[in-house]
Amino acid sequence: MTSLFAQIGTVAMMNIRSLPRRLWMSLAMVLASAVVVAILLAFLAMAKGFESTMNSAGSDRVAVMMREGSAAEINSVITREQVNLIEESPGIARDTEGAPLVSPELYVIVDGLKKSSATKANIPLRGINTTGMAMRGNMQLVEGRMFTAGTNELIVGTGVLREFDGFALGEEVRFGKNVWTVVGVFTTGGNVFESELWADVKVIQSHYDRGSSYQTIRAQLETPGDISGLEKTIELEPRLNLEVQTESAYFAAQGKQLEYMAIFGRVISAIMALGALAGALNTMYTSVADRAKEIATLRTLGFSNLSAFCGTMIEALVLSAAGGLLGSAAAFLFFDGLSASTLGGSFTQVVFSFEMSPDLFAQGAQLALLIGFTSGFFPAWRAARLPVIVAFRAAT
Amino acid sequence: MSQEALFELKQVEKSFVKGKETISIFNDLNMTIDRGDFLAIMGPSGSGKTTLLNMLGGVDQPSGGEIWFDGARMDNLSESKLTQWRAHNIGFIFQFYNLMPMLNAARNVELPLLLTRLSRSQRKRSVEAALALVGLSDRAKHMTSEMSGGQQQRVAIARAIVSDPKLILCDEPTGDLDRTTADEILEMLQLLNRDHGKTIVMVTHDPAAASYARQTVHLDKGKFVHKEVLA
Amino acid sequence: MNDLYLIYKNMTRKPLRLFLTCFAIFIAFLIFSAVTTLKSALDSGVDLAADDRLVVVNSINFTQPLPIAYYQKVAAIEGVKEVTHLNWFGGFYQDAKNQIITMAVEPESYLRVYNEVVVIPEQKSAWLQTRQGILIGRKLAETQGWKIGDKIPLSSNIFSHKDGGHSWEFVVSGIFDGVDENYDTRYAVFHYKYFMETQTFGGDWIGWMTLVTQDPSINQQVADVIDATFANSQAETDTSTEKAFNKAFIEQIGNIGLIIFGVVFMAFFTILIVVGNTMALAVRERTGEIAVLKTLGFSAPRVFGMVLVESLLVALIGGFLGLAMGWLIIEGAKSSMAQFLPNLAMGGDIVAQAVLYMILLGLVTGLVPAYNALRLNIITAFNRS
Repeated sequence: MTSLFAQIGTVAMMNIRSLPRRLWMSLAMVLASAVVVAILLAFLAMAKGFESTMNSAGSDRVAVMMREGSAAEINSVITREQVNLIEESPGIARDTEGAPLVSPELYVIVDGLKKSSATKANIPLRGINTTGMAMRGNMQLVEGRMFTAGTNELIVGTGVLREFDGFALGEEVRFGKNVWTVVGVFTTGGNVFESELWADVKVIQSHYDRGSSYQTIRAQLETPGDISGLEKTIELEPRLNLEVQTESAYFAAQGKQLEYMAIFGRVISAIMALGALAGALNTMYTSVADRAKEIATLRTLGFSNLSAFCGTMIEALVLSAAGGLLGSAAAFLFFDGLSASTLGGSFTQVVFSFEMSPDLFAQGAQLALLIGFTSGFFPAWRAARLPVIVAFRAAT
Repeated sequence: MSQEALFELKQVEKSFVKGKETISIFNDLNMTIDRGDFLAIMGPSGSGKTTLLNMLGGVDQPSGGEIWFDGARMDNLSESKLTQWRAHNIGFIFQFYNLMPMLNAARNVELPLLLTRLSRSQRKRSVEAALALVGLSDRAKHMTSEMSGGQQQRVAIARAIVSDPKLILCDEPTGDLDRTTADEILEMLQLLNRDHGKTIVMVTHDPAAASYARQTVHLDKGKFVHKEVLA
Repeated sequence: MNDLYLIYKNMTRKPLRLFLTCFAIFIAFLIFSAVTTLKSALDSGVDLAADDRLVVVNSINFTQPLPIAYYQKVAAIEGVKEVTHLNWFGGFYQDAKNQIITMAVEPESYLRVYNEVVVIPEQKSAWLQTRQGILIGRKLAETQGWKIGDKIPLSSNIFSHKDGGHSWEFVVSGIFDGVDENYDTRYAVFHYKYFMETQTFGGDWIGWMTLVTQDPSINQQVADVIDATFANSQAETDTSTEKAFNKAFIEQIGNIGLIIFGVVFMAFFTILIVVGNTMALAVRERTGEIAVLKTLGFSAPRVFGMVLVESLLVALIGGFLGLAMGWLIIEGAKSSMAQFLPNLAMGGDIVAQAVLYMILLGLVTGLVPAYNALRLNIITAFNRS
């Protein structure tokens, strides 16, 4: 008597060898499960890419301060006086000469021509100083040079360069009546700052009638993650109507913005999965009907009904897993690294890349196997309960 | 052409092209089938008996020669004309019954009547009569898939006669049945021939089946080699 | 019995398969109708925008202000019939998440330029005379439960009140309707003067201007004159039709929308391919039966028609059920989504498009097997079985 495993192996091999007989139905099932997996992965990769673009921008070592209730940099206003008060606050790191590491920044929205649609879209022009740049730990110039303070020079993030026209190194850019020259290209390791243009904060103040006002204050923290010193200062000083949070907390909240994409993707792919399941069930029932005689013959020879069950189940899982692989490969090919941009929380374009991380593949595989299991179970049940007498019936 | 003849085959040729070869099945075949005849065609496989039956039934056409039916030439009819011709003149009985599994017995019998202009009630009467003739009046509503082989073949016979065709063509009608059931079916065919005046042409390889016919012809390599008249 | 009965019997011979096939089609069309409706709701902001209205914004970006002096200058330009100016308030009510589209406007010219805004005369004059008065759209008033005479505090996420805080007190002096159903009344407008006197930034600046010309045909001309007037000045302008402006704004959401719809439509068509394959297979299995029908004397065109009608029926049954379900879901989601997608409704064009795809599915899946049935050679069919 053969062992159960040998029986199951034999039946499963027979099923899989007979697949070419049902080529089109089997391909349909593979395709159905591939599509569902690809859809799920596309949406998750989008949400993931956006989130990591935001999250990787935030540092624990930096505190961000904005006017209370403003929620995003663009809405905030901060006066020079408030900057001075913050510079005296405890909890802020200081350089070797004892100067506080504080960066008051301006955030002006300008128009750029989007490559994908050839329409105008909002890009942030950030007024910044060297202290502020130093706070973006991974900021690097990849081309050209730094802007010279006090001039109409700016440097451009690689994200802007990728998605917008007219910001190539050496080009002149006109915002209103002011003409700027692109003198450098910078990267910040793929995060949201790459979607920005940077220029001297003082020049922006004068060109855009901002007087001595700013929009945000960034401060290097003495102890990473500890903003209690700043909180205390703000609480005790009525002139400081500010909100303080670590930069990582600020961007983590902004990164949630595309979370609805992940939810939408899950809902859509769940509904699609039902449709695919219907197709897969058809395939598997056809398979059992097609092999009814073989199954019954094996059962007559003494194969257990468990082996008939498992044989069909394995066939279903093999087909859906093949679909899962195909879908993942397609999603990876088409979507991984795909550059996209959308309107972020600060009312400006955030350039990000779809990101297909290993845990997404795991989710895709789970979905494929779920389809395989469900679509295999009922037909396998039917196969196991097929009466032996079928073996003796004439071909139908 | 004699008044008696229903079918007349004149110098019929039939060949198939298979790959680069041309296989000739008939070469100068001549025969007459009289009205009211019950003709059995016997012969080994490959002798051309099914091809002959197909040509008689208008589902296959000769490569050469002429086939006359009821005083009209039919070998040169178009596909659609032949289809109409079949619907009006021929009833078919197959070895494996070829009933529609999703229809009950009465609906299966009614099928050919969809090709006529009969009213619903006329159709109903014809179906009842045909089923009564084959002794299945009480099974009218049964699904054919739940019937025995003999019963299914009787439904097929009812289907073949329901539109009152002149000719019934049978291809191994008892090939799938046991002896007793086969005899019942053959007696029924005999009855149709004798009492209802149907002309029947039956292809079979079973001498016992052929013994029910009025005459038997033996076909070998496209030629009639022998002819027996029984009644 | 007739041909339809035969078709029905053919269709239902394997009820489980029929159910599964219809279900897959149902899902495909459910998703198609829901997603297309969603997309058209997103796009509708563009379609509803007036084509004959012009928008004047700062050429740096529409978030940059313009000097108030521009208002008089534009009004004096030849061809300009009516012009008004607006400021974005960034309003919310109680909770920062409960955003209320609120703009500070010049009241009289606003009502002249936006003639879709319908407000009864008593309420109109009440609003014009009340400095703290606010004019609320019907839909907004309904969702927030505001009535005429209510005192409502609205906060701004941008501006500060000179008395401290970010909250302004308003009196509801009128509730306006749209000139037709489609006009989105989910916003509020209040007096520019009140805004300027109470916010801390100071200065007399405006967000943007909207205008109508004497005749739409001179729009381009007028736009060019306006932009030329302010060229090389302290704030250059960019003038475009309201429609073009809204379109550019929607485009900002960007290619992610395009990618999503691309992906969903690809999925829709793939499901149709998968289903079509099953349907074609169901007919292929019946080759023998079709040969019998033809032998009995059923004409080739008649058999062709029967096969085609069968696949059309399956496609239409599944498709219409999906469409109906999609409609139910959209209707159900309407009220809760109203804040983001005011024009969420399944239009006749979407239904027509869906029906077109159903017929296409039925034809494509039915055509090949039906053609095979048409050409089917009875002899070879019997030899095969």
